[in-house]
Amino acid sequence: MTAMPSITHSLGRGVGWRPEIDGAIERAEGIGFVEVVAETIDPRRLPAGLRAARELGRAIVPHGISLSLGGADPPDPRRLRHLGAVADRVGAPVVSEHIAFVRAGGREAGHLLPVPRTAEALEILVENVGLAQRALPVPLALEHVACLVEWPGAEMDEAAFVGELIERTGALLLLDLSNLYANAHNHGYDAAAALTRFPLDRIAYVHVGGGVLRDGVYHDTHSHPVQPGVLGLVEELYAVADPPGVLLERDDDFPSEEELLAELAAIAEAADRGRGRRG
Amino acid sequence: MADRAEYAARQAALLEALMRGDGYPAGFDSDRAGRAGSSLRRKRARAVRSAWPGLSAGLGPDFEARFDAFVRATGPPASDGGLVDGLAFVDWLGPGEDAGLTEPVRVELLLARAAVRRRRGADGFVRRRGAFVGAARLGDPPRLIVVIQAPGVGRRVGSVPLPRTGRPRPAAAKDGPEIDEAAG
Repeated sequence: MTAMPSITHSLGRGVGWRPEIDGAIERAEGIGFVEVVAETIDPRRLPAGLRAARELGRAIVPHGISLSLGGADPPDPRRLRHLGAVADRVGAPVVSEHIAFVRAGGREAGHLLPVPRTAEALEILVENVGLAQRALPVPLALEHVACLVEWPGAEMDEAAFVGELIERTGALLLLDLSNLYANAHNHGYDAAAALTRFPLDRIAYVHVGGGVLRDGVYHDTHSHPVQPGVLGLVEELYAVADPPGVLLERDDDFPSEEELLAELAAIAEAADRGRGRRG
Repeated sequence: MADRAEYAARQAALLEALMRGDGYPAGFDSDRAGRAGSSLRRKRARAVRSAWPGLSAGLGPDFEARFDAFVRATGPPASDGGLVDGLAFVDWLGPGEDAGLTEPVRVELLLARAAVRRRRGADGFVRRRGAFVGAARLGDPPRLIVVIQAPGVGRRVGSVPLPRTGRPRPAAAKDGPEIDEAAG
């Protein structure tokens, strides 16, 4: 087992940085950090909005989407170098990636696909995550993904699978409450009960994103408002844990500045309600 | 000891089936897999719309269905991203006005070919690092759009007016000579 690095960062409230909402993010008050999709950044030419975030004293967290840590191949050293270079350039306290595969057999999915929840998949993930950790300059946080389709033959549930991966690698957890909500809704289990079984003491930060219910299926779109059920999970989480940061993800159909601020406020209020329930 | 080759084969089979919307491996819920596959195809379509606005406008309401058919027929790509996916889609559509190769599309095609090239000896695309010279002849007004690109110089795009000849214009852009790594 890998020694657990302690969590020393404190991030506060965050928002996913996208060029389309650059100005609104810069003007928003009370923002402690932004997350940026690492693959969209050239470390030699940092966008003005990210330079401004640094000047405002905000932390910047690079978020990888292409390492395919859940794939059969070891992570590509060039992709790891890029993620590390972005982390160095922005002075990141932590970087994050997904528990997923995005390519197989030389073909690209263009999307985060789930891995089988088996001992074999865990073994491969542990090896791949270890390679990534040794190549990266800062701690790595792992995010569980939303998936409409599940592999047959699961040997454990998602919380147990993620918990074992975090324990065996010493990685941090990027807890995505919208993904948890989506999977619980679509695969028929209690999200609030599952939440408490994730390794909450290993959270690097929390994702909250919007989604939509269509034909009885919840789609984690990041292009719709945050649903009340997801805000309910924010409250549940803060009632039992004190994560270093919580971040709103919005990737498309960008809202007005007022709507964006209202979403951030709603998340903060849900967290406060949770804190208020602690004994 | 995990069998990585077998694991890779299972993941590749699932990815292939999701993109093609058919042939799901044993044990998968075909309804859910169908929804997941539609979502993958729509995500690729959005990226192509964004990178190729002229192409999606040219195909109009047919864009979604044609692109969906393209992905179902060709499966997952060897390179991802809206730019290269659009390039492969245009190749799949074939030449001609009927396939959506309007003048804006021919310009998009020219710029895409300047940006990337097909991998040698393998599927997929890589960023073009060498030189590129290409042109597209447009008819309204008659002109030649020329792209010249060279390492250290960057890309220059110019428009050269042509005399009105009255002759039918070519249906598709013609690539100029590629001098790629020779000059790179």
